[in-house]
Amino acid sequence: MKDVERQIELISEFQIECVLVGGVAATVHGSSIPTQDLDICYSRNNANLAKVIRALRAANATLRGAPKDLPFILDEETLRRGLNFTFDTDAGKLDLLGEVLGVGGYDKCVEHADEAEIFGSRHYVLSLEKLIASKRAAGRPKDLLALVELEAILEHRRASESKAPESQ
Amino acid sequence: MDKVIYTEKEMSLIDPKPGTAAAAARDFGIDLSLTVSNLRLTPEERIKNLDSQVDAIRKLRHSLRWISRASERVA
Repeated sequence: MKDVERQIELISEFQIECVLVGGVAATVHGSSIPTQDLDICYSRNNANLAKVIRALRAANATLRGAPKDLPFILDEETLRRGLNFTFDTDAGKLDLLGEVLGVGGYDKCVEHADEAEIFGSRHYVLSLEKLIASKRAAGRPKDLLALVELEAILEHRRASESKAPESQ
Repeated sequence: MDKVIYTEKEMSLIDPKPGTAAAAARDFGIDLSLTVSNLRLTPEERIKNLDSQVDAIRKLRHSLRWISRASERVA
């Protein structure tokens, strides 16, 4: 099973405008803490909502953690009326975030995103600094665990960057 | 297995100086040798690694069968 790989390929295939955030973004930056879902902050413009819906339907997405009898129509209007959604899909757990705590919506996330080539496509990944801000803002125990490692990675990166010119 | 050789920069995570973020992470219980291993990989390799780890945990959970539970055993 390659859940995250398949999900990222799904994002590429349907050309979804989004920024990788949460645990997978932390992994991309070097974190060793495993995560089982992919969190993305998605653009809420109409064209992108249509792409998101097509991708979710292709992956047989269902609401995660909701009663089975809860009426739910997977369409653009539903996304428009909500903000954050958690889905089970054929490609694993996928969480859509309209906003990231401590950062903001898609535009703010893009403004503070790095670009990485992953599985043959370029993707926005929330910057390490803003990922730390989001973990700090969320403040749950699991975020605090991630936070201390991310701060160590940031410290290591900054030390490496400041030493780099000397080694050339 | 071969012994892992760490660079000087990596040693700042493996054996951090007091008062640093790395020292705080270590004291919090983070195994920073795993972080160093991850930092040596490309972003794509890190994701593949994550998928492998999650898959291994999933398989372990699937195969796990309790023979007995300590709370149920008669002393």
